[in-house]
Amino acid sequence: MRSRQGVVRGRPLSLQIDGRVIEAYEGETLAAAMLAVDARVFRRDTQDRPRGLFCNMGVCSECLVDVTQAGQPTRRLRACVTDVQADMVVSTTRAET
Amino acid sequence: MNVREDYDLIVVGGGPAGQAACLALQDRLARVAVIDEQSRPGGQILRQPPRAFTVSNWQAGGTYRKLKAQLRAFETLSGVDWLGGRSVLDVRAEGDGWRVLVSDGAQVASLRTRRVLIAAGCYDMTTPLPGWTLPGVMSAGAVQAFVKSQRLTPGRRIALAGSHPLQLLVAEQIIEAGGEVPALAFAQSLQSALVQAARRPMTVLAHAPQLLKVLLGGLRLTASGCRIRFGDRPVEVVGEEQVQALRLASGAQIDCDAVALCFGFLPQSDLVRGMGLNVLQGRFGGWTAVHDPWMRSSRPGVYVAGETTGVKGAEAAGAEGALAGLAIALDEGLITSVEAERRARGPRRRRGRAIRFAELLDAIADPSVFLSQAQPADTILCRCEDVTQGAVDAAVATVETPNAVKLSTRCGMGPCQGRNCEHLLLQRMNSVEKAPQGFRARFPARPVRIGDLTA
Repeated sequence: MRSRQGVVRGRPLSLQIDGRVIEAYEGETLAAAMLAVDARVFRRDTQDRPRGLFCNMGVCSECLVDVTQAGQPTRRLRACVTDVQADMVVSTTRAET
Repeated sequence: MNVREDYDLIVVGGGPAGQAACLALQDRLARVAVIDEQSRPGGQILRQPPRAFTVSNWQAGGTYRKLKAQLRAFETLSGVDWLGGRSVLDVRAEGDGWRVLVSDGAQVASLRTRRVLIAAGCYDMTTPLPGWTLPGVMSAGAVQAFVKSQRLTPGRRIALAGSHPLQLLVAEQIIEAGGEVPALAFAQSLQSALVQAARRPMTVLAHAPQLLKVLLGGLRLTASGCRIRFGDRPVEVVGEEQVQALRLASGAQIDCDAVALCFGFLPQSDLVRGMGLNVLQGRFGGWTAVHDPWMRSSRPGVYVAGETTGVKGAEAAGAEGALAGLAIALDEGLITSVEAERRARGPRRRRGRAIRFAELLDAIADPSVFLSQAQPADTILCRCEDVTQGAVDAAVATVETPNAVKLSTRCGMGPCQGRNCEHLLLQRMNSVEKAPQGFRARFPARPVRIGDLTA
């Protein structure tokens, strides 16, 4: 839930998460942008259980997602230490972990 | 940034300790870089909003005033290369200096430096319970970082459970940002907390203003309708696809869409151990870097400061950073030992004071009230590899070392490099003698794409 009090966010931009186009703001982390739209499942574990972000400081790697940006190979990045970019394509599902 | 560069000093961590070290050096060392995973300096205590945001009255309380002043002073230093948004993957000895591998998420750079200061901070200690892997369960530090920096509450109704008084502050910050806190549960009784305080009357007296603030915060929370419970530990997080409720030992079931766990903190020790610096096991797990009175580590040219040497708060971290900065200036021949001694007096005094307060907090926040409780065998202990406590216990019964448990169960083999599970495994092994070393530190300290390493 984005707080509206006393904050002016960066310019709006859009990116894709699992095929869904979402709005985010320049300066937001990918994790914040996902949670703001209630995209709370960052991966599924070996028994297909939903898993979420845990530490939000780059330590636990629970928020690893596949991120593709123009001209770049797909990288598995920690959403909590990755800033959103326009036209990022993010996937929380992958064949193998 | 794939340019090879030579530095006189690389500081890992842009929190209070790293900042204070740079300020103590006063730009007298030519080539200094500070590396941090956040794009802006501040550390976890002052996770700044992104540059693209404008936030009014950010962290306005008196708690943060001195830290903010130091941060502003650090940001005006002209001779420091700020390498934000970058993770240190590895620090290894090379010749008479160190080679530091740094990733910005796309490219990997290899930097050389003569001296290193590790001021990498701490992170929330994990405390497993059934359902704690459901989306919506996170550390209190995670929630706080979202509120401070992103101006976001990671849920509408966030229940807090733990043993650390910090959760009172987190609750207030959630409410201030527009979230609800339907419950705040301390695992320990109020009486046990008060007994710990009564045992340290001088520390209580010396820190009366801070303690009064905590008390007033608690009263404000109660007045706003948040019920503070004591002697009630979390037993299960309920939900299917995400958190729906938190169940407490008293039987209370709190409807919520997020749970923040707050039992204390562990020092960041992956780089320290990878570099082969001497460490000691912390009281509640984790590893603290050994140092001399000048924050020199056990290896020449390497200094340690802040939570890396044991979790004792931002004030102590700043004091240790200042001492490390003075030591570096002294070892470089930039100042005399007389000047170093003179300038060290203030930081030493502040450090001693802060340590006594940290000891009081540690005693009050003792997580063993929760950790000593048995959890069901199918509770996940290693989050990365989905290893249950039962599987770990079975392995512990047959093998001798943490590394052997890792090999047979995969506990500790995932991308967190054991940061979440190692202290839990050592507790299951229940013997410091049996497991004096913990896991062997492995490259890389943070995840990186193999293709980026070889590019």
